[in-house]
Amino acid sequence: MKFLNLFWLLSFLLFSISCSKDESITKDEEKPTITINYSDGFPKACAELSRGQSYNFKAMVSDNEALASYSLDIHHNFDQHTHDDQGEECELYPKKSSVNPLIFLENYTIEGGTRNYEININVNIPDDIDVGDYHCSYSVTDETGWQSRTSIDIKIVE
Amino acid sequence: MALLSDSSISMNIFMNIQKILILLLCIFTSSMAFAQDGYELFGRLYNAENEEPIEAATIIFEDFGTLSDSDGNFLITCSSKGLHHIKISHVSFVDTSISIVFDEGMKSLNIALRPYSQVIAEVQVTGKTNARLDRESTSISELVSEEFLAQNRENTLMQTLKKLPGVSSINIGAGQSKPVIRGLGFNRVAVVQNGIKHEAQEWGNDHGLEIDQFGIENIQIIKGPASLLYGSDAIAGVVDILPPEIPQPKTTNGEINLVGDTNNDLLGISAGIQSRKDKWYYRGRLTYRDYGDYKVPTDRISYENYIFDLHDNNLRNTAGREANANFSIGYVNNNIKSETFVSNVNGKNGFFANAHGLEVRTSSIDYDASNRDIDLPFHSVNHFKLSNTTTIVSGRHLFSFDLGYQLNHREEHSEPTAHGYMPKPSNTQERIYDKSSISLNASDAFVYNSRHRITTGVNLDYQNNSIGGWGFLIPAYQSFGLGLFAFDEFEIQEDLHFLAGIRYDYGVMDSKSYYDWYPSPEYDEEGNQIDVYQQRASDGSLHFGNISASTGLSYIRNNNNFKINIGKSFRMPLAKELVSNGLNYHMFRFEMGNQDLDAEESYQIDVEVEHRRGNFTVSLSPFVNYFTNYIYLNPTSRYNENLQIYEYTQAEVFRWGGEISAELNLSSKWQIQGSGEYVFSRQQSGPKKGFTLPFSPPVSALFSTVYHLKDFAIFKNSKLITDFRITGAQENIVPPEEITEGYSVWHFSWVADWAIIKDAQPWEIRLKVNNLFDVQYFDHSSFYRLIDVPEPGRNISLSLTFPF
Repeated sequence: MKFLNLFWLLSFLLFSISCSKDESITKDEEKPTITINYSDGFPKACAELSRGQSYNFKAMVSDNEALASYSLDIHHNFDQHTHDDQGEECELYPKKSSVNPLIFLENYTIEGGTRNYEININVNIPDDIDVGDYHCSYSVTDETGWQSRTSIDIKIVE
Repeated sequence: MALLSDSSISMNIFMNIQKILILLLCIFTSSMAFAQDGYELFGRLYNAENEEPIEAATIIFEDFGTLSDSDGNFLITCSSKGLHHIKISHVSFVDTSISIVFDEGMKSLNIALRPYSQVIAEVQVTGKTNARLDRESTSISELVSEEFLAQNRENTLMQTLKKLPGVSSINIGAGQSKPVIRGLGFNRVAVVQNGIKHEAQEWGNDHGLEIDQFGIENIQIIKGPASLLYGSDAIAGVVDILPPEIPQPKTTNGEINLVGDTNNDLLGISAGIQSRKDKWYYRGRLTYRDYGDYKVPTDRISYENYIFDLHDNNLRNTAGREANANFSIGYVNNNIKSETFVSNVNGKNGFFANAHGLEVRTSSIDYDASNRDIDLPFHSVNHFKLSNTTTIVSGRHLFSFDLGYQLNHREEHSEPTAHGYMPKPSNTQERIYDKSSISLNASDAFVYNSRHRITTGVNLDYQNNSIGGWGFLIPAYQSFGLGLFAFDEFEIQEDLHFLAGIRYDYGVMDSKSYYDWYPSPEYDEEGNQIDVYQQRASDGSLHFGNISASTGLSYIRNNNNFKINIGKSFRMPLAKELVSNGLNYHMFRFEMGNQDLDAEESYQIDVEVEHRRGNFTVSLSPFVNYFTNYIYLNPTSRYNENLQIYEYTQAEVFRWGGEISAELNLSSKWQIQGSGEYVFSRQQSGPKKGFTLPFSPPVSALFSTVYHLKDFAIFKNSKLITDFRITGAQENIVPPEEITEGYSVWHFSWVADWAIIKDAQPWEIRLKVNNLFDVQYFDHSSFYRLIDVPEPGRNISLSLTFPF
């Protein structure tokens, strides 16, 4: 009978193991935030950008612990494959195919483990690229690996 | 690999040989005539089962042989008086020896021969029952019967098995799912069918298991590491779909199953037939299922900042269809059992159109035109399987061989669109995967003495994986694996069983390099732009060797059953874990392999205690598990172009948990069952130290009541079954997951026999309502959880089975 008791004991022991010693390591459970909804935020939904000009793309990012990197992606939306998350519907041009679209794909790191940061990227819009609907998306990560994104529908005009 | 399942048969056959020897023949009368040249014996042979005469049996008498005629009659002559031996043999009957004293005044001899089938049937009665063997077996497993499957059948096999404590599933919409055992899934659960490991794209998270759930009779689910027998991938457990039982001789039967669901307008039909003469038998089955988009109890889905309005609650473009065929032919005699299976499973499923994976998409396709069409994006899969499983009993040996060939072809199609530097592709064929694999298992279970049974075996597998399409995720690769194992099952006492075994595995994987089909701009040292076809995977050859071992003990004491297992299991890393280097547009991330990964190793102790008393059964099965290096896809804080880099990483992981279940028969009419499951995991090292593992299932409990109704009208044996599942919130998450709220959901079903034709087999009817109150809830491990899609709403399902 002792053998049996041992078994029951062992099984309950296994069940209760580490139940008691949850040493709760502090985990970062918060995503960073990203927004263009402030006065300097750029571009705003449905903004029109002109060829040959240069613009400062600005967004505000923050995190509860430490920001790590961010990226900016500008690609054409001539086939209307996606739309933004700004809650504002931009009127899109008719669908068309691309010849020489603008592609901007860059990423940057944020040094020093800061919690608040303003993204500021200078983008030249070349003279020879296709005009039309474009899609611009920002993303940001914190040091834990959480990511947040936001995207904006814009137009590039003559 | 079908060792455990065959062990009962082998034991029984050994017992049976003795029985055959002492088999008493029915000698009703005997007579012998004295002829001039000796003593004549007139005999008649008949079948003990049905008393039909047996033709063409060989009767050996001294050096003289003769055959029985069509009436079963034979005549032998003997020159001398006294004791003589006669041997009678026939392909379909048990060999029989009789001793006879030749004398004057003998009449005729009627001899009954026993057909093999009867012997086999009897073995199953007199041998140990499966339940007893399960209690003696040290492995902590669940045996799933055909009845359970029929009574609980859901849309997919894994959704059906989810009712078992410790088993859950990763669902991809309503029509596809993958197995999860104690919180681990994908390549950590080996799925075995008819002795052969199912080889498909298990790693993928957007498609299910290519197995027809109709026609499955018995499944053994091993909870806990089972590398010893099943090799790599069985690190968390095994879903072993056992070959169906051999049909009874001289029978032909079958069934037609019809099923209809309201939630996704599913219509399914399956028809199966099986037949056996004496030693040869065959079976076949055809299944077709066609379903529309499934409905969720919400009008709109909000994902990140996007809002998608749903038409008629339809989760657009989640329709699908499946067509399966399988056939097998088998042979059985008293020491050989061999069955060859051929099957093909073909399916096509759409993916939710607005957000495939994580990426938000818009399209000009009119997805709401019909809820049955399958538009882009979709995937299609074809799985062909040819296998043979053979067991041979020879003396004290039971040899088992499983040989299999599988071909898995999967295609993913989506609307082509330019992405990053990739121009718009010319077709929809985003990815193609072809996997062909050959596996061979051979083993010998040797009954050393009445106490020890020693099994040794070898597993070999070779697979060739090729890729196609414009999207790259994993490289093409070939792999070869060899496993050698030996274990001893030791019956210390009748109620105390011990198992110890060791295994060695060797694996090689050769992966092929892959370059983008389009150039990306890069800048040289002088700042000039150059176009580069980026390399996404490099040629690589990786070798792995691993030793695993396990030991277990089972003890039966009165109403109690105790089991304990300690084991080490392993898993060979996958090609994608080692060498992937690509953009996963589905998941909107960049995935990077890591060539420094080791073979994953896991140590586990698990215990099961079960107590039965009269109408009450309770069981508790806790486990503690430690991974030296659990491999997972870790979201880093870095970017590649604009996509977050996810890198395969290994970390120490500690897990514990278990299941508890209880069953009470209140009366002959009422049964109550309850079960609960819980898993805790924590990474003990690495970049996500302190976090849990991806897809960790939350604590969950299931309460069921079964009420047996009185027979009424033409409905017999009817039962009302109520299931109440209550699941806690999953707040223990790891990036990029989100906290999932808890939920409770009711399911209800009524099953009955429908004796519509007198004296014929009754039809079986089942009416089921899932999610009775149309509750909106989220399943933490569902594929669509990532984009905030709730689980299916209320579903009423009617299924009918017509046996013949």
